[in-house]
Amino acid sequence: MSSLVVQSGRRLRGRLAGEPVGFLALIVVGAYALVACGVWLGWWGSEWSALAGPGWAAPSAEHWLGTNRLGQDILARALAATATAFEIGVLVAVVTTAIGGLAGGLSGYFSDGWPDEVLLWLMGTLDAIPFYLLVAALAFALHGHPWAMHLAMIATFWTTTARLVRAETQRIRRLPFIEAARVAGLLPRSIIVRHILPNTAHILLVQATLVFIAAIKVEVVLSFLGIGTQDSISWGVMIAEGAQDILAGQYGNFVVASLFLFGLVMAFSLFADQLQDSLDPRTQDSRWQPHG
Amino acid sequence: MNKRSALLAFGLRKLAGAVPLILGVTLVSFVLTVHFGPDQTYALLGKNPTAAEIEQVRAQLGYDQPFVLRYADYLKRLATLDLGHAQATGEPVRSMLARTIPVSLLLLAPGFVLGTLLALILAALAAWYRGSLLDRVISGASVVGMSLSFVVILVGLQAVFGVWLGWFPVRGWSVAGVADYLHHVAVPTLAFIVATLGYNTRFFRAVLAAEMTSEQVRSARAFGIGPLRIMTVHVIGNSLLPIVTRILFSLPLLVISGSLLIESHFGIPGVGRITYAAVMSGDQPVLMAVVGLSAVLFVIAVTVADLLCRLIDPRLAST
Repeated sequence: MSSLVVQSGRRLRGRLAGEPVGFLALIVVGAYALVACGVWLGWWGSEWSALAGPGWAAPSAEHWLGTNRLGQDILARALAATATAFEIGVLVAVVTTAIGGLAGGLSGYFSDGWPDEVLLWLMGTLDAIPFYLLVAALAFALHGHPWAMHLAMIATFWTTTARLVRAETQRIRRLPFIEAARVAGLLPRSIIVRHILPNTAHILLVQATLVFIAAIKVEVVLSFLGIGTQDSISWGVMIAEGAQDILAGQYGNFVVASLFLFGLVMAFSLFADQLQDSLDPRTQDSRWQPHG
Repeated sequence: MNKRSALLAFGLRKLAGAVPLILGVTLVSFVLTVHFGPDQTYALLGKNPTAAEIEQVRAQLGYDQPFVLRYADYLKRLATLDLGHAQATGEPVRSMLARTIPVSLLLLAPGFVLGTLLALILAALAAWYRGSLLDRVISGASVVGMSLSFVVILVGLQAVFGVWLGWFPVRGWSVAGVADYLHHVAVPTLAFIVATLGYNTRFFRAVLAAEMTSEQVRSARAFGIGPLRIMTVHVIGNSLLPIVTRILFSLPLLVISGSLLIESHFGIPGVGRITYAAVMSGDQPVLMAVVGLSAVLFVIAVTVADLLCRLIDPRLAST
C-alpha cells in the first residue's frame, strides 16, 4: 500500500487513541484548579504556616500527610502551594501572551520596516542572555524584590510567542480579507487587533498553555535557589525544605511537593499536546527549551 | 577563487550582523548589573565619611559620569577582560573564572555528551519503528521525563544514591584521580541526563520522523541499504542542521541552569556556585563578568555555528 494511506491511518488512530488521554488530563487540571479556588475562598490550606503539631510527625487522622520539620501540616502547605502555582502560571501566561501577540502582530504586519527590525533585535537580545543569569541579574537589580521572578519570566517567555505570531501574521496579511480591510481605510492598529490576532488564536492558546507549564517549573527552580517565591508557600519552597530534610532521613515533604508538581505539569503537558494536535497540527513542538 | 571571496564576504556580513546583538546583550547586562546594581559607595568607605570622601569614591567608581560613558567603559573592560576584583574575597575575577570554569566543564560535559547521544539513539529507534509499541513507550516516557523538574530529579537521585544506598558522595568535589572524578560526577551526570532526555528525544524524534518520509530515504530503502546506514547517513545526516542548532541553543540554558543548580546543591566549586554566591551576597564584579561574558560568548557561538552550517550545506549559503 502507499505509505500515505498507512500514515494517515496511523495519524487517525493516534488521534482517536489520544483523545481520552487529553480528556483525562483536562479533568486532572480541573481538579487542581478546584483545589486552587478552594484555597482562594479559604476552604482549605489557609493554615499552611501554623505550627500545628510535633515536627516530622507521621501521617495521621489529624495530619493526613504528616508534618514538616517545624510541625507545619504538609497537606495544607501542598494545597496552598497549588494556588500559588496557578497565580504564577496564569499571570505569566496571560501577560506573556498579550505582549507576545501584540509584538508578533506588529512585527509581522510591518515586516521589512523599522518596527520589525527593532522587535527582532529585542527578541534576539533577550534570547541570547542565558535565562537563569537574566533572572539572577534582575533579582540583583531589583534588590531581591518578590516580583523579580515574574518579571524575568515575562521578559523572556514572550519572544517565542511573538516569533510564532509574527510568522503567521506574515502569511495572513497577504490574504484578500486583510487587503480589503486596508482598502476600506482601516488603521493598521485595528487590522492587527481585530482581524489578524483573532486568526492566530490557535497559536496564542497553545503557547499560553506551554508558558503556564514553563512558569510553574521555573518557579520551582528559582525558589529552590532562593530567588523565587518569597514570604509565601510554593512547591519550590517545599522542595527546598525537603532537600534539607532528606539528609536527616525525612522524605515526606519532598515526596508530597514533587508529586503535586509532577501531576499538574504532566496533566497540563498532555492537555497542551492534545490542544496542539487538534488546533494546529502543522506547527512543530515549540517547547525546545527545557526551562527547568 | 570567486567562490571563496563570496564566502568571505558572506562571513563578514554575518559577523557584522552579530554586532547589534552584542551591543544589545551587553546593554542589558550593564543596565541590570551595573547601572541598577547596588550603590557601592558606602561599601568602600569607612564609618562617618566626609562629603569630600564620598565625592572622591563616587568619582573613583565612575558614578559621576554620564550613562553612555559608563557603558562604553563597561564594554572596554569586558573586551579587555579587565574584570576587577570580587568584593567578598578580593580575588581577581579573572582568576576566579579560570579556576571555576574547568570544574564546571568537567562536571557537565559527560552528562551533556551522553545525554545527547542517548536521546539521538532513542529518537532514531522511535522514528524508525514509528507508530509501534516501542515508539509509544519512548514517546510516553519523554512526556514523563519532560514533566519532571530538574530540582526533583537532582534531590531525588541524591536521596537514592547518596543517602539511601550510600554509593556516591552526597556533596563535595575532591578530584585527585579518575576514580575520584567518576565517583563525584556520577550523580550529577545521571541527573543531567534524566533532566534533558525527554526534551531532546521528543525533539529529535519529530525531526527524524519527518525525514524518514523523504524521497531520498524511500529510495535508499528501495535500493536495499541497511537500516543503520540509512539512519546515520540519510536521516540523521539530512537533519543535521536542526539537530546542531538545537544542541547549540540548549547549551547555555542547560549548562548555566545545570551548573547553578548542581553546584549550589552539591557544593561543587564551579562557575555556577560563584555566580550563585554573587547573587546572594550582591557581589557586583563577579555577576557583571559572568552575565556579560556568557551572553557575548553565546552570540559569537551562534554566529559561528550559523557560518559552519552554511559551509557544510552549500544550499543555505546562497540565502
